[in-house]
Parts: sequence; structure tokens; C-alpha cells
Amino acid sequence: MNFIENVKLAFASLKANKMRALLTMLGIIIGISSVIMINTMGSIMENSVNDIFDSQGGASLVGFQITLKPNPVRDYYTSNDLMTEDMIYNVAERFSDDVDALSLVYGTDSATTRFKREKLDLVVYSISPGYLKQSMTGVIKGRYISDKDITKHGKVCVISDKQAIKLYGSLDNAIGQTLSIDMYNQSYDFTVVGIYEYQLTGMMSAMVNMMGEDWNNEVYIPYTTMAEIQGDSDPLFFYFYVNIKDGVNATKFAEEVKDYMNNRFYRNNDSIEVYYATAEQQMEMMGEILGLVSMVISVIAGISLVVGGIGVMNIMLVSVTERTREIGVRKALGAPNSAIRTQFIIESVIICLIGGAIGIVSGILLGNLVGLLMDATATPSIGAILLAVTFSMAIGVFFGFYPANRAAKLDPIEALRYE
Amino acid sequence: MSRPIIDMRGIVKSFYVGTPNELEILHGLDIVVPEGQFVSIVGASGSGKSTLMNIVGALDRQTGGQYILDGIDVSRLEDADLSGIRNKKIGFVFQTFNLIARTSALKNVELPMLYAGVPAKERTKHAKELLEIVEMSDREKHMPNELSGGQKQRIAIARAMANDPAIILADEPTGALDSKTGRLVMDIFHKLHKEQGKTIVLITHNPELAEETDRIITLSDGNIVSDVLKNKPGEAKEAAE
Ligand SMILES: Nc1ncnc2c1ncn2[C@@H]1O[C@H](COP(=O)(O)OP(=O)(O)OP(=O)(O)O)[C@@H](O)[C@H]1O
Ligand SMILES: [Mg+2]
Repeated sequence: MNFIENVKLAFASLKANKMRALLTMLGIIIGISSVIMINTMGSIMENSVNDIFDSQGGASLVGFQITLKPNPVRDYYTSNDLMTEDMIYNVAERFSDDVDALSLVYGTDSATTRFKREKLDLVVYSISPGYLKQSMTGVIKGRYISDKDITKHGKVCVISDKQAIKLYGSLDNAIGQTLSIDMYNQSYDFTVVGIYEYQLTGMMSAMVNMMGEDWNNEVYIPYTTMAEIQGDSDPLFFYFYVNIKDGVNATKFAEEVKDYMNNRFYRNNDSIEVYYATAEQQMEMMGEILGLVSMVISVIAGISLVVGGIGVMNIMLVSVTERTREIGVRKALGAPNSAIRTQFIIESVIICLIGGAIGIVSGILLGNLVGLLMDATATPSIGAILLAVTFSMAIGVFFGFYPANRAAKLDPIEALRYE
Repeated sequence: MSRPIIDMRGIVKSFYVGTPNELEILHGLDIVVPEGQFVSIVGASGSGKSTLMNIVGALDRQTGGQYILDGIDVSRLEDADLSGIRNKKIGFVFQTFNLIARTSALKNVELPMLYAGVPAKERTKHAKELLEIVEMSDREKHMPNELSGGQKQRIAIARAMANDPAIILADEPTGALDSKTGRLVMDIFHKLHKEQGKTIVLITHNPELAEETDRIITLSDGNIVSDVLKNKPGEAKEAAE
């Protein structure tokens, strides 16, 4: 019996029981749609993680921070444990062949500024020049914080384009203006020397969207200026970042720096040492988290596919029983067992394929709904779609075989007599 | 003399109802039907007519005896070959029509050809010709649930003719129809018999309809109690042998 006839027949019998067919497909739909959803979300996450790392200097970023030794004598830090400027500059000097930019963060402080009769919140980042170079924000007007600003403890700042427009009307107008920053119960006047482009990508924007908070209130100032304001003549750091030059192996570099610093500065420290984190590690970690989430959803998908398959088998058994007489007639008309078997397997495969197709579409939609939160869209890979299609067909054949075989083996006389 | 299409010798059929209870329904029947004969089988309900018919139609196998259908010893065939025999040699017409649901009249008629592997175009063309013969051309697109009993039966007859079978087997084809519609169906059988020379075996409870056929075989409790040839003296002699 030919294939097209079988397909038409299958559709006709599905059409006769639309609701039943749809309910039967539900398991397959849920299963396939979760697989596709994961795949879609996976590629969105991957893109967005890559975006973040790219904008922060990508894989070239290595961070160093102090941490507890494996068997510490105490479990708290003292000011003696923190990294000094001298230590950090010593490292930068020692590894100058590998280091492209160095960024220090002295602190982030809440502050306010007055604008008309409003009080605007600011977050003041006390940083070294390298920070702006490697951060996701690029300066689009004016200049970065410079080395000279650091040595001179200059009262200069870099603000966002949004702040510039809000406070001064335009980017051009903003450069050279004075921004009064109120912090630590005093007011300090800073000169605006640069404007960075406010942009959030991927996961960041997802978080911001979720918290309903606008982060365009970051103001960057030289860390030495902040240290001076706080009366701190010897700024100390928990951590610093380095952007390595092209072609430098991040892990090897990080290991060397770690060993160097621990040997030189932390050998006699009873509890504290330096440790590092590379962007690669971070990405791997993200990957692991994503992998775990995928696994959980995959298990759910697997279970619903099996349950769906059993549902298909059940409905096919019902269908065979309902159509016992029809099967008898077909056999009387000369249908060989194989034709009957094929007819029912094709019907079961078609149920699964329709379910699979609905699952693929809803999976892409759901995946992108999540992606919408991250300002990203994605399509699952062709491979995933092919896999989903193949898999639903396989379920159709596997779970359709038993009912179909039962139909094929019916005794024609018994079948014709069936009421 | 015409060669026999159905050649049955000592056909026995038993059913096993539980292990020790063998139930013999047909007790050694001899029936020879030459090509082109229109035979009716009559008898009380439960006398074994349908059981015999199932064996003739290769739907079932005899327990004992020999059955040669159009020169083929059916008892030696595998299941797969039996379906081929049913497909090409036999055309079934049932009391309850048994059209395939949700399948148009035309597609129903095409079905045996589909199983025979006839190409689509040819299938459709021939199915239309057959619908013409049973005067149902204007209903080819109709689904079975849109047709009356008589119309369904005419389509079922067209379907039975699809692969130009050696025998048409009709088990009480008018049993579910009123006498007027039954008449119409009967006329179609006569037409096929006369115009195409079809061998037809008709089971009926209606003695008047049986009287119209060439030969009446009467069954009683699984035995042939009478076998009467009519109208055609030439063939009467053969059957009497
Ligand atoms: N599968 C079976 N198992 C046991 N007994 C059977 C089976 N099929 C038929 N019989 C018995 O065989 C006998 C003949 O049945 P059959 O259907 O051939 O009668 P029939 O002459 O066609 O009757 P009717 O005119 O009512 O159709 C009946 O007694 C029936 O109970
Ligand atoms: Mg009967």
C-alpha cells in the first residue's frame, strides 16, 4: 500500500479525533519543546556571556585577589593582608612584557548630586586608568582618567552619556563642566573630562531589567583622589585586574603572577595568599551552570517523551481496537499483514511528528521569551531541530510498533465479526 | 464443459472450544462450482453457511479435505499468499456493507487495487468505470456515512469487482436492505453474471432470490441436504455427477 495514501489516511483518522490526538501529543510536545527551549536558551546565554567577556577585554582579563590559605590560622583579614599600590605596581613592572593594562578598584561609594531641586543618586567608582579601558563601557567624548590624574589626585570624573544629557543638555556641553559630588557629608567639585557610552549587554541587562533599576549613574574618578578624600595615604586593595597582551597564555601568566606574589609578599603571612580568576574560568563556570540547567531540563524532557510515547502507544491500541472491523475488511480485501502494520506505524509516527513540530515551534518561542529578558534572540541549531524531528519519528515507530503489530496479526474472521 | 473455479472435496471444519471440546461444524462437503455459475447457498441459521463461505474466500482454512481454488491448492499456502489470493481471486460483499469509514466511495473501490499495487492513475480510472457499472458515478466523492444502505452495497459490489476476481462471494448482501433495494442489488449481480460471466456465490435466507440463480445448495447442520441445478440443462448434468 503506498505511502501517500497511508499519510492521508492517518490525517483523516486524526481529524476524526482532533481533541484526542492533541491530548496524546501533549507529552511529545512538552518533551520536544523543552529540548528546543534549552537549546535556544543555551545559545542565547552563550552569546550573551561572550558579549560580556568581549566587552570587558574578553579572554584577556585576569583578576587577582587575596584569599585564605588552605590551613589558615585565622579566618579574617587585617589591613596588613591587603595589597598595596607598591606591590601591584611591582607586579606590573615585573610582568610588563605580558601586561597590557592594569586596573585597580579602590572602592565603590554611594553619593548624590543636586540637579535643579532633585537629588540624584550616584555610584562613585574609584579606579585606575586601566579600568575604563577594559570595562564594558567605552569613552566616546573627552578622555579617560589618565596617569597624571592619578599622580596629581586630580578632581576629574568620567560620566555616562545619559548623565551628560540629563545634567548638561548635550555631550559637547558636558565636557569641562563641574559636577558636585556629595559624599562623606561633604561636597566635592569634580571636572567632567570624559563621557562613556552607557550600554548594558546580555545578562547584565537581564538583571537590570529584572530589578527595574537603571545603572547609568556610575561616575568614575581617580582612586588616589578618593584615597585622599578619605585621608588614606596608603591605599590598599583586595583585588586588581590585568588585561594581558595578545598571545599570552592566561592561565600560565596567572600562575606565574600568583607564585611571584605569594613568594615575594605573602611568604610570611600565616593565613592569607593571592589567588587568581581568569575570564576563561568564569566562562567555564557559566558553562557548567548552563550544563546543569540543561541536564535538569533534559531529564524532564526525557521523562515527558517517554510518558508521551506511552500515551501514543495507548491511543494507538485504542485506535486498533476501535477499528478492528476495518482491519478485518482490509484483510478480506487482500491487505497483507505488512500493509496493516505500516498503516498504523505511519499513523503513530504522524502523531509524533505533529507533536514534535508543535514542540519545536513552542520551544523556540519559549526560549526567545526568556531571551527577551536579555535583549537577545536566537534560533536553535539546525542540528537540534533535526534531532528533535528524528527523535519524534523514532518515538512514533517505537511506541507505534506494538499496537501496529497487534493489528497486523488480527485474525481476519474474528476481526470481521467484531462488534 | 467449464473448468471448476471452486473444487471442494470432503471439507471438514471444526472449532476448538476449550481443549477437549472439538466442535465439528462442516462434516465433509463436496462442492464443485464451474466458472461462470451463479450459485446460492441456503439453510437455517447456524447451519454453517458463513463458515463455508470463509473457507471458500480463503479467510479461513478447512480442518480436513481438499480445496482447490481456480487451480490453486489453498490449504498449502502461507498467510501472506492467502492475502494475495483474497486480493486477486475473491471479491467479498458483506451483509453490513463494511465500507471503510472516512474514505470516499471512489477510494473504497480503489482499495483492493491499492493492495495489488496498481498505479494511482489506473486505479482511479478503473474505479470510476466500476462505479459506472453499479450506477454510482455521481456519488464517488461521498463518504460512507453520507450514503444509504443500498448505495453502500452497490459501492461494496464495485469494490468486490476491483481486481476482476474469479469469484464474488456475497454473504446475505440483501439482508440489511428493504425488498425494493434488495431487488436493485440483486439485479446488479445478475448483470455481472450475464454480462461479465462472473462466478457468484450468494448466501441468502430469501428463497425467491435463491430461485433466480443457476443452482441452489441447501445446508443443514453442516451437511449438504440438496443441490439443485436449474435453467441450464447442460450444466445440470455435470453437477449431478
Ligand atoms: N469461531 C467459532 N467458534 C466456535 N463456533 C463457531 C465459530 N464460528 C462459527 N461457529 C459455529 O458454527 C455454526 C455455524 O455458524 P455460521 O456462522 O456458519 O452459520 P450461518 O449458516 O452462517 O448462520 P446465519 O444464517 O445465522 O448467518 C454455528 O453454530 C456457530 O456457533
Ligand atoms: Mg452467516
